Amino acid sequence: MTGLQHPPHEQHMATPPGRGIFDPQLLDRCISCGFCLPACPTYAVSKDEGSSPRGRITLMRALETGRLDEDDPRLREESSFCLGCRACEPVCPAGVQYGDLLEEWRDHQWRGRHRPPLAQALMMVAERTPLLRMMGLVRRHARTAAVPVQTSLMLGCFERGLFPGVSRAVRTLLPDIAVPPQQGCCGALHAHNGESEKGRELARKLGEQLPGTIVTTAGGCAAHLAGVLGRDRVHELSEHLAKTGATPVGEVKIDGRRARVAIQDSCHLRNGLRVFAEPRALISAVADFVPVRGDESCCGSAGTYSLLRPRDSKRILAPKLDAYEAAGVDYVVTVNPGCQQQLHANLRRRESAIRAVHLADLLAAAAEGRPLTRGRRWRVPRVRFDLRRGSRRRGASGGTAGWSA
Amino acid sequence: MTLDRTLVAELEAIVGAKHVRTDPGDVEPYARDATPVFRAVPDAVVWPADTEQVAALLRLATERRVPVVPRGAGSNLCAATVPERGGIVLVLTRMDRILEISPGELLARVEAGVPTSVLADAAAAQGLLYAPDPGSRTVSTVGGNVATCAGGLRGLKYGVTRNYVLGTTAVLPTGEVISTGGRLWKDVAGYDLTRLLTGSEGTLGVLTELTVALLPMPATTNTGVAYFGSLAEAGRAVDAIIGDGIVPATLEFLDAKCIGAVEEYANLGLRLDAGALLLFGDDGPADVVDRNLGRIGEQCTISGALEVTLAEDVARSEALLTARRCSLPALSRLGTLTLLEDATVPRPRLAAMVDRIDEIADRYEVPMATFGHAGDGNLHPTCVVDQRDEAAIHRAHKAFGDVFAAAIEMDGTITGEHGVGAAKLPYLAARLGADQMALLRRIKAAFDPAGILNPGKLGS
Repeated sequence: MTGLQHPPHEQHMATPPGRGIFDPQLLDRCISCGFCLPACPTYAVSKDEGSSPRGRITLMRALETGRLDEDDPRLREESSFCLGCRACEPVCPAGVQYGDLLEEWRDHQWRGRHRPPLAQALMMVAERTPLLRMMGLVRRHARTAAVPVQTSLMLGCFERGLFPGVSRAVRTLLPDIAVPPQQGCCGALHAHNGESEKGRELARKLGEQLPGTIVTTAGGCAAHLAGVLGRDRVHELSEHLAKTGATPVGEVKIDGRRARVAIQDSCHLRNGLRVFAEPRALISAVADFVPVRGDESCCGSAGTYSLLRPRDSKRILAPKLDAYEAAGVDYVVTVNPGCQQQLHANLRRRESAIRAVHLADLLAAAAEGRPLTRGRRWRVPRVRFDLRRGSRRRGASGGTAGWSA
Repeated sequence: MTLDRTLVAELEAIVGAKHVRTDPGDVEPYARDATPVFRAVPDAVVWPADTEQVAALLRLATERRVPVVPRGAGSNLCAATVPERGGIVLVLTRMDRILEISPGELLARVEAGVPTSVLADAAAAQGLLYAPDPGSRTVSTVGGNVATCAGGLRGLKYGVTRNYVLGTTAVLPTGEVISTGGRLWKDVAGYDLTRLLTGSEGTLGVLTELTVALLPMPATTNTGVAYFGSLAEAGRAVDAIIGDGIVPATLEFLDAKCIGAVEEYANLGLRLDAGALLLFGDDGPADVVDRNLGRIGEQCTISGALEVTLAEDVARSEALLTARRCSLPALSRLGTLTLLEDATVPRPRLAAMVDRIDEIADRYEVPMATFGHAGDGNLHPTCVVDQRDEAAIHRAHKAFGDVFAAAIEMDGTITGEHGVGAAKLPYLAARLGADQMALLRRIKAAFDPAGILNPGKLGS
């Protein structure tokens, strides 16, 4: 038997030596099957291959091989349009580590003056520990004596100032946990904004400041820290509670009934660490858990994304908020401060009756039998003029009707 | 070639400036589809919104002699959407409306860019089944499925895409819009152009709207797994099952390498010490499904199965099927270049073909893993090699040449469901012969006198 002649144009051309921007092992992994397309939020809104994980990897390859100019506008655009949510990773049967590729890409694409100034500014703030510590002290986050112990709580660089109540809630749930105030940024911010080496350095430093197991209330930080310090040393809160066998007590009620509670997954917690069953189980223990279509997909906060690309961020978020409202839930639980801020601000903006609440707050409120508070103090009723009706109405009151708080 | 500025302006006038891209970074992602190795950069990418825009675009392209390559999601495995001669890639993903689902008539009308699983879900919501079930169903579009006559995991009992296409709206390269077939199961008025367009791989016309047949949703589905010492033994079991008078919905097999790769990705607890796995499934009334799966299990045992188990619940059943759909990408973890083929033989020759593939792989010293739709005689021998190992790649191509020759010798074909595209065009004459090749060219010329539609593929 003689074989059919295989055609000359099918001779494979080996990948030429590249610019050395990407780890070839990571880049070679993708076989362009396209299984990632339906999982990608930016592909969903753009329907453009170039804004899909597969298309972006094609672009990365073109950058690596020199087929595209280093400063090609589309390269710059896509490295920033990508949320970095890593929803493409769990659905990838070929095992492409897209998150790592994106870090390498941004390291190159956002080098020096190419980095968005806002991202640069945030990273500088995150590195200034005394400044953040001051913010946190003023707002009274939890703290204990700084003795090295087995398990300690990570405060988070921005979380300690923005959501100090979260660390206090964790202390309610885990009275024995140490919360040394002397701790820096985990470096996730840097890793996701073109400074991956700095990001790893900060993580290692934090690992020295908090020896033993690090518990964190931020899914994004958990994934980054676990990547640097090892999976075993880092527990996201829900994971920690599940692992230590803590059973949630009490329940969260509204108007005498159990509260209806949905979740917004943290992308890196779900797609990076594959933790998503744990928070759902905890919510179910203290309230009526309501699964909502799309609760696993990115809320558009995505680290610095909501600041750098506010319009795209809102475009990603809008259908999700519609879904939460259609499901008629009372609360959306978050497991990451970025998501908390994103949902909190945008639910308020649309005067929704739903409130975003961190998992720790929900569980602590249940345990203490107190109603969940109405949110931040500076929320004052606004007087708005409705042009269509020509009548005046109180903006905030409509949105909070029915709260027992 | 590059497009001149006036042409770009005319394209923009048709679909709007937002929907025409010509910058290098914008067209680069459309240089390839899911086929390894093949790559060619288009000059422009255009996203039309409706049939009229497609017609205007094609008229313009014929007038200016610019190649046009229609594209859905780009998940095909034969380089059918790689623009080998440059020109315009026409992406139909904006046309993604389900126009109608008619439970009374058991049909659906969709625009070409609707993802296959979106149609299947919408039908299921009304208690209906869209039977074609290609592995890439979550990614692929219905238009792409029809253009490549996609197969899948339910072929044995339900057939393939062509068995469900009732009608099309297609735009000819010269700009005429034709409607073939329609809402009728019986319609013999004229040549069966619906069938001709199905599987034409975007060389005869651009499909913009499809009418597809639906079925009542079967009451239950279940799946089982049988392990064998070798793939050939599993192949013989397939013969025994069908010889027993059962035509189950699904009969898939994987060899040991595939089992290992799939297990690594999906963690299903598959047996790693077996030489082959036969995945069987059926749907219908619960008692019928139970009886059929029981009988299949018996036949497997008689044929020497090491172990037979049935899925304990729907979730497990779904997980097994999903894992099977992921065989190819999961296999790719073994190396950096995954070359996959699609040789198909009459079912009774399956075991012989499996042995033949083993022999060829040994002779060329290439690592070959095989999985496929056993019930359809449709094999996917897959070679995973290091993309920098030129010698191994060369040997793999030679081995596949022999695999094709062996398939043809056994009254089989070079491709069962992936299509010809650019990837298998060089082997087509061996399958069809000179007279049919000439006829294909005449058909192509009748549809596309200027030769602008997906040039360098079928019919050229």
